[in-house]
Amino acid sequence: MNLKDYIESGIIESYVMGLASESERAEFEQLCTQHPELVAARRKFEESIESYAFEQAIPTPPEVKGKIFEAIGNSSARSTTSLNPPKIDTMENSKTPVRSLGLLRFVAAASVVLLIGMVWLYFQTKEQNTVLVKENDGLKIDRDTAKSRLDRIVQEQKQVVGDPNTTVVNMVGTKVAPKSSANIYWDSASTNVYLVVKNMPKLPNDQQYQLWALIDGKPSDLGVFDATDSRVILKMKNTKKAQAFAITIEKHGGSPSPTLEKMQSLGKTLQSQ
Amino acid sequence: MLALKERNNQAFGFLYDNYAGALYSIIKQIITDNSELASDVLQEVFINIWRKIETYDQTKGRLFTWMLNIARNASIDMLRSKGYQNSQKNQELPDNVYKGVSNQTTQQNVDNIGLKKVLEKLKPEHRVLVELAYFKGFTHEEIAEMMAIPLGTVKTRIRNALLQLREYLK
Repeated sequence: MNLKDYIESGIIESYVMGLASESERAEFEQLCTQHPELVAARRKFEESIESYAFEQAIPTPPEVKGKIFEAIGNSSARSTTSLNPPKIDTMENSKTPVRSLGLLRFVAAASVVLLIGMVWLYFQTKEQNTVLVKENDGLKIDRDTAKSRLDRIVQEQKQVVGDPNTTVVNMVGTKVAPKSSANIYWDSASTNVYLVVKNMPKLPNDQQYQLWALIDGKPSDLGVFDATDSRVILKMKNTKKAQAFAITIEKHGGSPSPTLEKMQSLGKTLQSQ
Repeated sequence: MLALKERNNQAFGFLYDNYAGALYSIIKQIITDNSELASDVLQEVFINIWRKIETYDQTKGRLFTWMLNIARNASIDMLRSKGYQNSQKNQELPDNVYKGVSNQTTQQNVDNIGLKKVLEKLKPEHRVLVELAYFKGFTHEEIAEMMAIPLGTVKTRIRNALLQLREYLK
């Protein structure tokens, strides 16, 4: 691998900013152990981010520092109490009557074994506890990511439909497919077209829905989609003009011109009036 | 550094005084609309730094980089959990079409701080991708799907954008 190209590929920046994938990170860290110039380049970018971040620092809420110290004070107190070693009875405490030297030796040897056993058990339990705590943390993270996956979709939808430049075109079913419906969100400023499937029947694998913009009577392809993408915002091809949008069923991958007898849904825009 | 790893309170206080402002700025760039939550995240971030300081590995990067990533991750987690609470109200999509206007005015103010200010200099198609990846925490795969562009294109565009960013930061 050419190191110079690698340095200039943007990997350093991705890595430092936390945008590199797991495998890219691993590769980068591995290469850093072999190439000091890579480390130097990374350090340089880190320093520029750091000094920029310092320039952009803003005052923090005054009460936060106190709360942090309160929290870490409590947590360290808690962890020391849970680490108390188990109590072990010594020979002096034991009430076993001593009958002979032989027995005494035996009891002494047995208690040493017992002591070792208990110490071993103690560390074993402690280690298990750490493992469980770690596992628990891992599960918490998993739960949070799963929970958030849904939110992200909703958030994203909110962003698109919340834009004041966006016009909503309600697509209604035709005679062929009276129940089919979808919404088009059409941003007049960016000319972006987004589609939200509300109800489109599932198609065989070799077919797909295709969206068209009707511009001065001529259909223009805006891309294909599947019915399974229901309730998700789909980014379609951009169009500046459209008097109406139409959805047809076409072969997988779409057709150059629409099969109008299979028109599923139609919606007129304000430009048509 | 050693004092920190030994959990020295005084060293930690010093760390806070030095870095909290810079980290708070990145938190506010991600959690743009709620100062109370941003300050909760700042608190959580420093508690995490305190707890995880032994896992910091100097060979993998500077301390600030490590803390910055903790701050960014915590902010994105918060962003998503907050979205979760709102999602209940947002289930009826079409009702929300005209609601975003008031939110946008507050959003514009925070667009002018920190890294977002530098992002302004990028081409819009690059800026959007960096925004989604860095400030919203979407993976490259998710962005590719969302924007309906190939994964390879997402990767190259983001990398190119970051390289430009590096030039602006110099």
